[in-house]
Amino acid sequence: MEITRRDFLKLFGGISGAVLLGNMDEVISLPDSWVEKAQHGPRIETWHNTICGLCPSGCGLRVRLLDGIPVGVKGNPVYPVNKGGLCPLGLNSLHSLYHPDRIKGPIKRTGAIAEDKWVSISWDEALKTVSDRLIELRNQGAPHQVAFLGHTEGTIMQRLIRRFMDAFGSPNYFQYASSKNDAIPYAFLQGHSTIPAYDILNARLVVSFGSNFLEEGYSPVYYTKLYSHHDEQQTRYVQIESRMSLTAVNADQWIPIRPGTYGALALGLAYILIREELYDIDFVHQRTFGFEDRKDGSGARHVGFKNMVLGNYYPEKVEEITGVPSATILKLGRELGITRPALVMGGQGTLDNTNGTFAAMAVHSLNALLGNFERKGGVFFVDDPPFTKSDLKFQDSVARDGLRQPSIGRPDARTFPFTQFSIDTFAKRILSGTSYPISVLFISGGNPVFESPNSREVAEALKKIPLVVSLDGLLNETSEHAHLVLPDHHFMERWDEVSNVDSVGFTHVGIQHPMVSPMYDTKHCGDTIIELARRIGGSVGQAFAVASYENEVKEAMKGVYQSGRGAIVSEGVGTMWIEYLQQRGWQIGQYASFEEFWDRLVKQGGWWNPIRKKVRMDQMFPTPSGKFEFYSHKLEEKINFLAKGAENGASPQHRERIFNQLHISARGDNVFLPHHEPVPYDVDMPVHLTTFRVLSMRDGQGASLPMMQEMFGHSIHRHWETWVEMHPETAATYHITEGAWVLVQSTVGTLRARAKISQGIMPNVIAIPFGLGHSSMGRYAKGHGANPYAIMKNMYDMLSGKPALQATKVMISRAM
Amino acid sequence: MPKWAMVIDLDKCTGCGACSVACKMENNVPIVDPEEAQHGRALFWMDMVTTFEGELPDTQVKHFPKPCFHCDDPPCTVVCPVGATYRNPEGIVAQIYHRCIGCRYCMAACPFTAKYFNWYEPQWLDEAHGIGNPDVSRRMTGVVEKCSFCSHRLQQIKEAADLEGRPIREEEYIPACMESCPADAIVFGDIANRDSRVSRLSRSYRVFRYGEDLGVKPKVYYLARRTGT
Amino acid sequence: MKWFLRLGPVMVLLVVVVFYLSLGANDRVAQPIAYNHKIHIESAGLTCTDCHSSVQSSSAASIPNLEMCSTCHSEQPISESAEELKLIEFVHQGTSIPWQRVYHVPDHVFFSHRRHVVIARLECTTCHGNVDEFTEPVAAQFLPITMDNCMECHRENNVTNDCLSCHR
Repeated sequence: MEITRRDFLKLFGGISGAVLLGNMDEVISLPDSWVEKAQHGPRIETWHNTICGLCPSGCGLRVRLLDGIPVGVKGNPVYPVNKGGLCPLGLNSLHSLYHPDRIKGPIKRTGAIAEDKWVSISWDEALKTVSDRLIELRNQGAPHQVAFLGHTEGTIMQRLIRRFMDAFGSPNYFQYASSKNDAIPYAFLQGHSTIPAYDILNARLVVSFGSNFLEEGYSPVYYTKLYSHHDEQQTRYVQIESRMSLTAVNADQWIPIRPGTYGALALGLAYILIREELYDIDFVHQRTFGFEDRKDGSGARHVGFKNMVLGNYYPEKVEEITGVPSATILKLGRELGITRPALVMGGQGTLDNTNGTFAAMAVHSLNALLGNFERKGGVFFVDDPPFTKSDLKFQDSVARDGLRQPSIGRPDARTFPFTQFSIDTFAKRILSGTSYPISVLFISGGNPVFESPNSREVAEALKKIPLVVSLDGLLNETSEHAHLVLPDHHFMERWDEVSNVDSVGFTHVGIQHPMVSPMYDTKHCGDTIIELARRIGGSVGQAFAVASYENEVKEAMKGVYQSGRGAIVSEGVGTMWIEYLQQRGWQIGQYASFEEFWDRLVKQGGWWNPIRKKVRMDQMFPTPSGKFEFYSHKLEEKINFLAKGAENGASPQHRERIFNQLHISARGDNVFLPHHEPVPYDVDMPVHLTTFRVLSMRDGQGASLPMMQEMFGHSIHRHWETWVEMHPETAATYHITEGAWVLVQSTVGTLRARAKISQGIMPNVIAIPFGLGHSSMGRYAKGHGANPYAIMKNMYDMLSGKPALQATKVMISRAM
Repeated sequence: MPKWAMVIDLDKCTGCGACSVACKMENNVPIVDPEEAQHGRALFWMDMVTTFEGELPDTQVKHFPKPCFHCDDPPCTVVCPVGATYRNPEGIVAQIYHRCIGCRYCMAACPFTAKYFNWYEPQWLDEAHGIGNPDVSRRMTGVVEKCSFCSHRLQQIKEAADLEGRPIREEEYIPACMESCPADAIVFGDIANRDSRVSRLSRSYRVFRYGEDLGVKPKVYYLARRTGT
Repeated sequence: MKWFLRLGPVMVLLVVVVFYLSLGANDRVAQPIAYNHKIHIESAGLTCTDCHSSVQSSSAASIPNLEMCSTCHSEQPISESAEELKLIEFVHQGTSIPWQRVYHVPDHVFFSHRRHVVIARLECTTCHGNVDEFTEPVAAQFLPITMDNCMECHRENNVTNDCLSCHR
């Protein structure tokens, strides 16, 4: 027997009667075979490159393995998105691999929902249960009763699921949290629905309307890298938002603004630019439509953007709406006008409200006034990666009939007419039973029961579905409702691709590859789908010619190889060098075969192409007028179409009805111009509720990791806990002191959290961080903090279908 | 003899906290219970300190990452009764855990609260069975621990350099915090070499050090355009 | 206050210390197979690095296991030793041999074979003794791994004794 010093101390601890247990236990859990390997192996070190899978930002990861066991991660220094940087969550990704509550194999629920009673079953049994039901549905001629609720799958995974659903015969594949809806306001103005990339590196002034790009954006690490050069580039950052976010903290100026009024301020700045003729006159006259007043074919006069702004958004009025002093507006407007390049960004704050679409349009139209498109220090659009095309070749008649059925999650004319999917519509349709029932639902990633404002409805809807199949690797509030869980691999165990992260300024494809063999009896969700298709057989089985998801990725990358463009990420291959070679018809690195290209691609972690296709200015905006449209034809056409669809002819009454349905209060031409729509707040509630996300939580996955819980609120010493930020004035009004428990009450529900009194938030606004308040998601998430989404009113931007996360007003009081 | 020092550019630093987590993962720093964390017993070798000043709308929130400053004249080493903490010839203020008796004199002496006490068993590492960073020891209950400038990396780098019979290259010795900083705000290196990046930056007009007036000669320099950050 | 009550904890401490010291570092370890170094070196003509393959390339020297052993001992025994049959049994079952580590460097010490063998050119025998004479498996440390032993050698050879060069 050997006595270590620790045993010795323990002995003494025992004697003195104080056994101290204060550290987390079981942060890391391993299969026994791994323990054996870790303790007795020769400790041979290898490094593998992959892409972080904890959020959709797509940062390159370099993993250190000893004897094939991952022991450390750092950023991949040659991957262009993050260039070696990582966020706290990414750095903690090993703890998600070793999470003790990962699902170890297929399980079947035996108890009630959230009772946590599950039994293990074999993969064969699990797949048989599902495929039998699927075959049965096809035999009944009801393949459309199958739905797939995805989250943020990459292009190839999306294609695979879509192909399965098309071959099977269901129109019901939806991505719950895709960024597609974010692009709707941009599409109205610029014609195509690509989320713009912003060249903040070369801009001299960056004005951000609620875009917390250092913390909540599409790729915070990418933007942090660009931001870090602000000193040598002499870029000035101005951040406009109600709460001082991390981006505002780092900005040169923070302008507090009332929630839901971002559009009005943008138009107030447009007023200054137009009034003082500080806008890009050439660009506006040659490349935009609807700026000046005009007469249409029938001779009717239309008000232009210019006169609409000059008539409605003068600084004093904007001050009244937004709470931003008119002197500040004047100063910022002039600064925008005389600084070149000056860049304007919209983001979460702008979009997350009932008037989000019009507000984002107002913000984006400032970029047009400044002539920022395809300019250094401006706004640009990235080409799609040249993946191999993959089409479904054959559908049988069952599938064709099924696909003719209306999609269950696609809103109708009265609600969200511009979107393909709304979680609100989806839940309501299932609950009301007005359309056909859903018999089988697949859920992969995402957690709508936790993070959507209609969570109660979603939960009820899930209860009505006879077979819910979750593909998650860790149980969460949504997968608690599943009947079967077919667990997916962790991202370090699987093949996948993460390409063209929104708002990142170049074409790129990152490759995830399995660096460890699966720790548990899990299966890649792509392979689960392929396996199900095989078991269904017939034309569904034939749709999947390749053996596995790995081949699916490989097949798609052949197109990238054959395009001969771009380069595999590696040291010392910069933009200039790639451009030089491409202009001369060369490719970086010559590969004898695709296999050679593929091996190197997997080893290096990705491919990128910083060189964009040259776009002619007159082809840049695929709108009806071929120009940037201040006056959106697209919006007008759709509304006319909806009005006509109601009855014959788009009479004013019909249009009126449509406007009311879409909660548009403006009338006349203003509807189709960027304008400010007041948010329908509860009049009897005094305080605005806003939420924000911190880097350690991102989309909420961080809550399952103890180290991220400890980082949550570290800056204000509120570890593992949700807090309510409020201005001292607000606190004084409601007799709340620092650290006191506060009750936050909306018309929907009540929440309890600790007060944080801060000068970094507007009076009469409170901010609650998102991420905590879980009732599931593993032992570390359960029972800590509160979830602000649970007290949010179920409201949406009727045009984009995005949840209005800042449209709820609440009452606050000191909790007893 | 090199002298290791760090420069943190606060104009670049966004306060994201990546350095804190990179450090915790690299050095097997324990995670404490939620209640203990609330009592201020969470351990961050690389802490992220946030200060709030001013009134709306001119509120100034400042973040600064705070490792051990590795003072050239460290107050913590002179009070140690057992010689468990000392300044080594290369300027690293080391903590030898197996010598430490946990009296916490050094914690009291440190003006920057950069030292942390292990109140609890590192169970999470025991159960990890060799996962976690194998290059760094586990600290047992009752010892003081702190930032080591990732000196375990230096041990390996020195060996690699000696093997090739050459001096250490500047870009070789990089602590975990610098490696993962998304804003490239942290620079580390040999301040005795006047051509190194650290040395050049430490002579910038933007430079300041915490506790300069205490005469402890910290070797972590901060750069900030706005003074008094 | 009774004086002997105060002495209680001290007595316990004393007992534990004596117990601890009596265990010592040189406790003999039983190995699963009675490996004979001498035969392997003399008859088979092996050198240290043939089996302890990572001596020159990494910090750990590595203890060979099945893969290494099975290059010679796979199907048919090549000697008449009963110990070899044990090994072949392990090879057949594919379970790794539970060798007991004898030279155990504590977790808080950074020790590298590569540094000592390649850079400092130390002979293996300096620390491990004349292994080529061993007919019995290694059961105890030849040069006990203690800080004194490390530091003495460092002093003699004018190598740094800075704490941080070994402690981590």
